[in-house]
Amino acid sequence: MEKSIDTGTMISETFQRTSLEPATPSAYSDFCHVGPDALVGIKRQQTNPPRWDGQGWQEFAAALRGCGIELRENIAARGAFATDAGGTAYGLPHGVVIARNAVQISSLLKAAQQHRVPVTVRGGGLTTEGESVAFGGVLLDMTGMSRVLHIDTDALTVRTEGGIFWHSLAEELRRFGMDYLSAPLNLTASVGGTLGVGGIDVNSPRLGCSADQALALQVVTPAGEIIECSDTQNADLFQRVILGYGQFGVITEATLKIRRYTPLRMHYFYYDSLRTAIEDMQLLNRNDASDYSGILTIMDCAVNLLVAFDSDEREAAFRANWQSHLRGYGEPGFALCMVRRYVLRPWKLPEAWYLYQRKRELFPEFRRSEYMRDGLMHDRTVVFSRAVWKFWGSKQMVIPDLATSAEKFVDAVERGNAVCRKYFPHYTLYCVGIKLRPEHKPHYEMSCIPPDAEGWAYGCEFEPMIGGQVYSRDYFQSFKNAIYDIGVDLGGSYYRFGGMMKGYIRRVFGDEVVDRHLAMKRAADPAMILNRDVIF
Amino acid sequence: MLGYFKNAFTPRRDHADCSGCSLCLLVCPVWRQSRDVSLTPPGHFKAMQHGTSAADAAASVENCTLCMACEPVCPENIDITGIILELRRQLAAPAWMHGLQARMTEMAGRKAASAPSSSTMLLPDQALHAHPDLLARVVRLLGNNGTFPVSDDSSLDISLALEAGVAIPEQHLQRFLKLLRRLKKIIVADGLLLRHLKQWLPKADIIGLGEALSGHPAVRRGLCTTDLYVIEPRAYHSDYQRLVKHYDRLRVAHGCAFNLDLQRIAIPATARNLPQRLGLTMPNDEGQTRWVLHGRNINRIVVESLEERAVLEKVSNFPVVHLAELVDDGGHAQQT
Ligand SMILES: Cc1cc2nc3c(=O)[nH]c(=O)nc-3n(C[C@H](O)[C@H](O)[C@H](O)COP(=O)(O)OP(=O)(O)OC[C@H]3O[C@@H](n4cnc5c(N)ncnc54)[C@H](O)[C@@H]3O)c2cc1C
Ligand code: SF4
Ligand code: SF4
Repeated sequence: MEKSIDTGTMISETFQRTSLEPATPSAYSDFCHVGPDALVGIKRQQTNPPRWDGQGWQEFAAALRGCGIELRENIAARGAFATDAGGTAYGLPHGVVIARNAVQISSLLKAAQQHRVPVTVRGGGLTTEGESVAFGGVLLDMTGMSRVLHIDTDALTVRTEGGIFWHSLAEELRRFGMDYLSAPLNLTASVGGTLGVGGIDVNSPRLGCSADQALALQVVTPAGEIIECSDTQNADLFQRVILGYGQFGVITEATLKIRRYTPLRMHYFYYDSLRTAIEDMQLLNRNDASDYSGILTIMDCAVNLLVAFDSDEREAAFRANWQSHLRGYGEPGFALCMVRRYVLRPWKLPEAWYLYQRKRELFPEFRRSEYMRDGLMHDRTVVFSRAVWKFWGSKQMVIPDLATSAEKFVDAVERGNAVCRKYFPHYTLYCVGIKLRPEHKPHYEMSCIPPDAEGWAYGCEFEPMIGGQVYSRDYFQSFKNAIYDIGVDLGGSYYRFGGMMKGYIRRVFGDEVVDRHLAMKRAADPAMILNRDVIF
Repeated sequence: MLGYFKNAFTPRRDHADCSGCSLCLLVCPVWRQSRDVSLTPPGHFKAMQHGTSAADAAASVENCTLCMACEPVCPENIDITGIILELRRQLAAPAWMHGLQARMTEMAGRKAASAPSSSTMLLPDQALHAHPDLLARVVRLLGNNGTFPVSDDSSLDISLALEAGVAIPEQHLQRFLKLLRRLKKIIVADGLLLRHLKQWLPKADIIGLGEALSGHPAVRRGLCTTDLYVIEPRAYHSDYQRLVKHYDRLRVAHGCAFNLDLQRIAIPATARNLPQRLGLTMPNDEGQTRWVLHGRNINRIVVESLEERAVLEKVSNFPVVHLAELVDDGGHAQQT
């Protein structure tokens, strides 16, 4: 493994090397949008993979048509998938197939193996490193398979097609008074795309990640076999497909746990220290003191710990036993704290103004009357997802993250925060715990779950606020590298380690694990056609 | 610093600003019917950002039902309907459209209609015109025992032109607006026309027929907890921020269910593309209608729009009534 870089010393060394470069880091980034230190000395993949050369496409297209599969080669169909939510990787498929059923996908994959045509599977396309962008070959749009097949309100399970968005699933479950357990706080993540990468919700500290809610899957393997798998049936395949970044098969159906729907009782606590907020969040998680928890920062000195409950009883128990242990303030208390802070530091008034504006814009969004009834939040994912897209969304989204064990988390977040401060004037951190299931250890290998985490893993997303600013892709890349280097240094993992970040995989997991998975991949996918260049 | 805030008051933006978040796709009936991303706003906006032409987006533009469900959910405040209508204008060509334009030009030359005798006017849509009994009932209910004037036919042509992307001759439009400017209140049955009237006459008091009827105390009294109340999507989405509260008050007071999804968007009970709306091809909206009804525990369906009544009657076994029919007064609405 390569060593991490002390970024502080690198800045001064860089500036000493040439007199052409300006004297301050911010002047440097105006001068050249590449971070002063982050591209030095480390081998990384920083560009889109090469476009597939198209050899054999015509024969392949004819084979698909022969099986009655509709292949769209017009520019309107292909252009719709030119990039992902990240907006920094661009590529066009040669053709698009809308997924309709497992048999169709099986025929597609068999033909792709035979003609060695890459197949990129896409759900919501919320990746940010180009994992769901096709650089040639076929793009398989899984959202064509969006039906809910069966809801069992007694057994508390649902069987659904794999391309469905969690939100569409919620729409259907709610008609029967049901809800899913945990899913990304993003309305347009698909079930299949999420089971392959993780799925973190604000109830993950209690219920684990979405991938842990899957009871069984129907998978079409890269060679085109349609296989039902679970922890008891074809367990090896199940273990590889869950959290497997789409390497070992296409998830066409999933059986998931569900629960009765309840609205949320939401509380917000405000901190002026990131470390204290994290410690308090971990305290709540260790003691099962809340049903939901997570941290969202506004600024380094304005950190919000959200805590929520599914029932009056749980809320009352929290109030009686745990609220007094929290060191955060309520809204009025925190406002006073901020007034004190800025009265003593009048030169920081622009910062205070920013904070005030941010509060004015953001807070009402989390309390919109459409989604609140009798003081309860009825649709957490709607509220959070809309807010995320409204305030952080743009055509480019750069969201590197770090996942570590509970013990290393504060260190990881503080170091990541320092990186953000260096690169962007404004940014938000989102931190959340993930309850681990010891019996799922085999699912977690080479995934976003850090190998050394026991009990809980913790994740932090670092989300710069890009606003109307224009940054070069190299600038973003060097920012991401600086964050990801912390993960290598701490022995952690990442939620988004594929695509353009695949250069990190060997560095974080080591050759032994990666080579073992690569051998399994080669055996399962001889022509290496399925989601090529995402991991391997 | 303020540059970092994206707020709801930013001016309407265009396809180049689409982030691809797909929140609009979740509510789009075309997507529900086709599961074809290229027929939805993120599909064709992303393709346009990468160089496709208006002609490449023709299928998407033609398939749009103009339900406007996508607009209130768009975090980038993109003028999705405006873009689609503009593309329709660019792409529209069929010969019959020239007939419509010629008729509007001819009307423009005529003398302006005389001043209305009341301060409130109802602009019915085509479907309400085709049901004179119901229209009379609506007029009685809202218009104080028959003194309520109904507009002339020019609103129907203007509605049709908006829908089909036919340019409305300026003189004809001004003639129509001149009449409306004299009014205190305008009640509009067609949600697409409502949206445009709000832009053309920003100071006027303009509401949809659904809002007008559901605000009437006698109508409200007719609602009950086992009703599914089907909100007409176009009018609702064209004034979403305000109407979401209006209907929530109705829910609290009367306990009925609504065709609202979790984003509080009205799920359209029909999904008709342009040729279907113009009667050139057969509508095929049963899947969409069934989705509105799926998993509902109800005894009756109450509608604001006649188009939706027809399809709901076809698909469900429940009685379907128009809002105006909730007041049974033997031909004379109860006044409170
Ligand atoms: C603004 C924003 C907010 C986010 N918030 C959260 C959050 O709160 N919590 C969280 O956990 N994540 C979050 N994410 C990350 C995102 O939700 C996850 O990456 C998501 O689960 C991906 O789902 P998707 O359907 O978009 O998958 P895609 O991006 O389409 O695909 C992800 C990977 O899985 C593969 N794949 C897709 N579908 C299938 C399938 N059916 N079978 C096999 N392989 C498949 C793809 O090839 C790709 O490699 C966020 C992302 C963004 C951009
Ligand atoms: S107006 Fe309706 S049909 Fe058209 S794009 Fe928007 S949601 Fe889809
Ligand atoms: S909601 Fe707006 S920004 Fe998002 S995909 Fe649709 S048009 Fe684009």
